Amino acid sequence: MQKILEISSLSAGYGDNIVLRDINFSVYENDFIGIIGPNGGGKTTLLKVIMGVIKPFKGKVRFFHNQSNARNIIGYLPQMNLFDKDFPITVVDVVLSGLLSRDGVFGKYSRRQKEHAEKLLQKMGIGDLSKTPVGKLSGGQLQRVYLCRAIISSPQLLILDEPNTFVDTGFEKDFYEILRELNKEMAVIIVSHDVGTITWYVKTIACVNKRLHYHPSNVITQEQLEAYNCPIQIITHGDVPHTVLKKHKEQHD
Amino acid sequence: MIETLLDLLQYRFFSNALLAAFFASIACGIIGTYIVSRRIVFISGGITHASFGGIGISYYYSFDPIAGAAVFAVLSALGIQFMKEKTQVREDSLIGILWSLGMAVGIIFVFITPGYAPDLMGYLFGSIMTVSGSDLTVMGILTFVIALFFILFYKPVLFISFDQEYAKTHRAPVKLMNFILITLVALTVVLSIKVAGVILVLSLLTIPQTTANIFSHNFRNIMLFSILVAFAGCFAGLLISFELNIPSGASIIFSLIVIFIIAKLFDIITTHIKIVKSIKNNN
Repeated sequence: MQKILEISSLSAGYGDNIVLRDINFSVYENDFIGIIGPNGGGKTTLLKVIMGVIKPFKGKVRFFHNQSNARNIIGYLPQMNLFDKDFPITVVDVVLSGLLSRDGVFGKYSRRQKEHAEKLLQKMGIGDLSKTPVGKLSGGQLQRVYLCRAIISSPQLLILDEPNTFVDTGFEKDFYEILRELNKEMAVIIVSHDVGTITWYVKTIACVNKRLHYHPSNVITQEQLEAYNCPIQIITHGDVPHTVLKKHKEQHD
Repeated sequence: MIETLLDLLQYRFFSNALLAAFFASIACGIIGTYIVSRRIVFISGGITHASFGGIGISYYYSFDPIAGAAVFAVLSALGIQFMKEKTQVREDSLIGILWSLGMAVGIIFVFITPGYAPDLMGYLFGSIMTVSGSDLTVMGILTFVIALFFILFYKPVLFISFDQEYAKTHRAPVKLMNFILITLVALTVVLSIKVAGVILVLSLLTIPQTTANIFSHNFRNIMLFSILVAFAGCFAGLLISFELNIPSGASIIFSLIVIFIIAKLFDIITTHIKIVKSIKNNN
């Protein structure tokens, strides 16, 4: 299996506030990793470091380019954020913006790129919305548009930040099926503080709370949690997926 | 009417005015769409009024007032953008301060300049009939630069405006773009001062866009349609100004407003007809 990303002895944060300490973490192709942990534990900071939005205090983020094809490294689906609903942009233009870093900043899009965007939208079941102003979409439709934007550059790694904050429960199951399908072509990382649903779908789990603990399976037992000293919820997969809430000793450093 | 128009075109000042309107319509159509979409109309208002400080100082030292306005406009634009990025100052308060400071500096210098300031009203409310050949050259060059920038960098301009945070994850030069764009806003304001004046120029940057936005939600189409609306408004305003002998800046703004009202009424009526039809079809 080929390594896509390697993070070694990394520390990061803001100002003099260290949010992440001594992180070692690798991503291989076809990984499907759930990153979980409490709010303020450093999940978003880790993503920002990976995407180069902030620079680490210490340590390295290394990407392993796949030379055989010119694929983008990262596709990113951000958290549902408040945006200006009146901004005059159509759905297809939002999707095409995912090509920004790959095709440079000049000129126009080719017909092929536009067709590719339309095809992706059709795949997500919203092909008829391509000319709609983006402000008129529902939360679930918007999520699908953002997913198209994230994957239009055929990235090697797809990162989703809190995808369950988009309100559209009817689509949730389909959404994870789509991700499973995409996982055949790219590694997927889902970040969430809501452990409930995602552990059903991911293959492995990384627990981030200042430090990172990697669990090479999607089942975490109480013993493991105690061994790793992760202050998170316990996850079990029975006939009915459920999470057991249990408070652990907080770690102090 | 057509005869009067042909007669008017014989006059140098009128054909100059028309050409100035043409340049200003292109620049304002493009930049106005950007500021309206990004909701930075208030910032643009601040830049516009701050530029009056430059006009006043130029009066006193007898420089070209437009050059003075350009310096003040660009400096205040960059200042606002810098404060936005670096400090915790409340942005709208800062703009309010710059806005009134520029006007105050301007009026002080105009007041202490010996003699009478004959074309002061022109800088405040526009005097498109007095556009000179050298004014036109400067306007033409600036309009060309702005249009070229938007043609070349349409994609990053659109995506940074829509979703700055996402653009950052693509390592797009967001900061640099913001600084360039705010400078272009300042230059557009300055080149339009001759057309509508410091006080009225904001209308050229907002009314055509609001009119275009009735019919389109596509950034590019709003830009193109705004240019048409702006030019139609300038043209009608010029004729009205000439026929009724009223100030051109004001008659241009009134023409733009009338176009907006007609467009809005047209939109309301057609939507109403559509609804009635669909109800009939359902029965």
